[in-house]
Amino acid sequence: MLISRRNFLKSSVALVPAYAFLPSVFRRAVASSILESPTGSAAFPDRTLVVVQMAGGNDGLNTLVPYSDNRYYDHRPNVAIPGGDLLHLNSEVGLHPAMSKLKELWDEGVLAIVEGVGYQNQSYSHFESMHIWQTGGRSDTLNNGWLGRYFDTLDRSQDQGFRGMAVGRILPPECSTPHAPIPVVESVALYQLHSDPRYPDAAQIRADSLLKLYSASPRETPYAVLLDNTVEAAYKSSQALQEADKAYRSAVEYPSTSLGKGLRLLSEAIIGDLGIRVGHVTIGGFDTHANQPKDHDNLLRTVSEALYAFYQDLKAHGKDRNVVIMTWSEFGRRVKSNDSDGTDHGSAAPLFILGTPVAGGLYGERPDLGYLYNDNLNFTTDFRTVYATVLEDWLGASSEAILGQKRLDTLPILSAP
Amino acid sequence: MRMGHLLRRAGFGANEEEMDRFLAMGEEATVEYLIEYETVDDSALEKRLTGLDLDLEKLRDLQRWSLLRMIYTQRPLQEKMVLFWHGLLTSAFKKVGKGPYMLNQDQLFRRQALGEYDVLLKAISRDSAMLIWLDSRVNNKKAPNENFARELMELFSMGIGPYTETDVRESARAFTGWGLKKKEFLFRANQHDYGTKTFLGRTGEYSGDDIVDIIMEHPATANFVCRRLFTFFVHDGPDAATLASLVWTFNDTRYSVKAVMRRILTSLEFYSSKAYRAKIKSPAEFVAGTVRMLGIETDGRPLNALTDRMGQILFSPFDVSGWPGGAAWINSSTLLQRLNFANKIATARGRSFKFDPLQVAQDHGFNTTAAAVNHFISLLLDGQAPSQDRQILLDYAQGLDGLSASGNPSATVDEKLRSLVYLVMSSPDFQLA
Repeated sequence: MLISRRNFLKSSVALVPAYAFLPSVFRRAVASSILESPTGSAAFPDRTLVVVQMAGGNDGLNTLVPYSDNRYYDHRPNVAIPGGDLLHLNSEVGLHPAMSKLKELWDEGVLAIVEGVGYQNQSYSHFESMHIWQTGGRSDTLNNGWLGRYFDTLDRSQDQGFRGMAVGRILPPECSTPHAPIPVVESVALYQLHSDPRYPDAAQIRADSLLKLYSASPRETPYAVLLDNTVEAAYKSSQALQEADKAYRSAVEYPSTSLGKGLRLLSEAIIGDLGIRVGHVTIGGFDTHANQPKDHDNLLRTVSEALYAFYQDLKAHGKDRNVVIMTWSEFGRRVKSNDSDGTDHGSAAPLFILGTPVAGGLYGERPDLGYLYNDNLNFTTDFRTVYATVLEDWLGASSEAILGQKRLDTLPILSAP
Repeated sequence: MRMGHLLRRAGFGANEEEMDRFLAMGEEATVEYLIEYETVDDSALEKRLTGLDLDLEKLRDLQRWSLLRMIYTQRPLQEKMVLFWHGLLTSAFKKVGKGPYMLNQDQLFRRQALGEYDVLLKAISRDSAMLIWLDSRVNNKKAPNENFARELMELFSMGIGPYTETDVRESARAFTGWGLKKKEFLFRANQHDYGTKTFLGRTGEYSGDDIVDIIMEHPATANFVCRRLFTFFVHDGPDAATLASLVWTFNDTRYSVKAVMRRILTSLEFYSSKAYRAKIKSPAEFVAGTVRMLGIETDGRPLNALTDRMGQILFSPFDVSGWPGGAAWINSSTLLQRLNFANKIATARGRSFKFDPLQVAQDHGFNTTAAAVNHFISLLLDGQAPSQDRQILLDYAQGLDGLSASGNPSATVDEKLRSLVYLVMSSPDFQLA
């Protein structure tokens, strides 16, 4: 184990951002010290990165299937997908049959697939591995999320409380930052502050008193900063989102899955020009230890259809040139299947990068099925190379500062001018 | 203030009448009352729940049932422990599915609320919801499924670190054949691997129960369980000496959770300023606690959906690790839901869900704005509010003088009194446990 128990305890506590414990008297100081050190990545203010987390460990081998390699069929006879059922990308690999919509985008040349993504000394714990992906490494010095550190580089003097937006009920740890918290939105309808329906005239003064309760008294309690910052962000961003919602009409019918709804919400915010630099949405359920064939089919269909609708909606609104989407999952799954028609925790897996600015195609190196360790694949592309690619070549940010290591070579996916 | 803290942490807060009763009993007797809950009659709660005709195989009804228990039980620590175990030894309805499973698991937590931890671990490894949730029921000797074995060590007992990937694979073999038939645990001998396993440095023909016994003897387990209890009930940073004394108690009493909880609730740390308001209320604590403290009568119908929106879907946490808690409870979305819940309570004028602060004012004979402000700060915030907060509330509510005399309240009195309660419930300190 590379991470000691003590460090893991520390890192699991680190899901609670350190600033959350500061009393609010320190809060302004924290905020201003960060404001004074922008690294100038305000480049491309009209570009958005949308991150789709496939939580639970997506089975990469059944997502992009190496059907010409017999060893694939030998290792997992009960979950392998027959070559004839796949959506062939070339004479070696094919997409899972449930992803016909993504295959259409592949044919249009706007889908990139990076193969063999992972990291050294794979952790097989969901939580440790997620933590590594979310913070950007195993280092103790990497506090907060990698996207949170990107937010920290932005000048926030002009924003409306939206630099990013996460769909759901929980702030994804990769977005955590000591700045004004990134809004987390479940639905437009729920994202507003209610007042006493009998006395609408009192709504404003009551809301003012509420905000005063948060900002007026410096408190020594832990979480004071968090509460103070959050109430302000919630109030401002909810008003902006309600306005944007009045103008938005989706150009396509989104699937009625929660991922579909989530991407629709992000589309609404992007089309409404709320200043979202990074959007985040999660789909769970990829931990397919048993009955994988049916469950994985549903999951990949959900991903494929929702991404397709989102892409078409952006296109119809003339925003597709401004948005790049990337997926990730904390690990792939064991090459050898288990006896319950499922797969246990594994290692490297492919991920998707999608958008009009994307040079479609396969990237990275396919892990060798003849070179396994404990029935797992060896990774070929470090996940931070993918992060560096979207940070440098899409968001125009310095990956060195954000990832805390020497500048990594980027993949030529977004390098076209 | 100490009593308010105790009843909030070891339960779900108290209404006025309860608070008076416990203050009269004193702290020591109250702790014993909470811990020795088996001597407390809770039949009124069971009667109330039976009267609602709920279908506990359905998620919505089960959530209502659970929140109503938190609100109306006379055994608050027992229900608090059930919530603790549910967040630690997690299973979720979304995979386990409709049926008696999640209810049975919840009842197991209730029976074993303060029992011995090895007994609970052995019971949970046979629990039908868990057998489905972590795939034990399909763990066969030919190609074992590691899901339960890994989480048993990582999430239920030792935490990551003390074991290797080989330990995961070996212990998965020990649990092969633990199946489910007719919704109950069944040992399928033909699917069990009777071979020799090497686990945490020991070798033998281990069964699943042997694996639990070996795990219990590993020092990381006592440490893990005591730390989880301390951080749930006290604060996030136990010092080494405190933790060591809890670990000693745990091992000395052969894994008695009751003994550890008695130590925690009578410790200096529990009542220290480091612990006071040092935790964010979970949505269940926020919702159930508010209704309980205000003494509102409800069949629980609006409450489960509101708890969901605040980020805690009871009986269906997002993943195997339960709820991360702490700062993760608070973001722009969940905070808006908390504020809107406060608004819903403060403006509850309906017949089936009603809160009448004017009745409260008249019962107490308030004659000044200050008396009303004091009352709700005392009831909801242990009487502890910074002077700035108190002033903001007084400024907003001014003009309530003489309110209890007026038979029919004016619109102003109605608005101000309800908004006062809203503001207290929306204040930052009320979000804290």
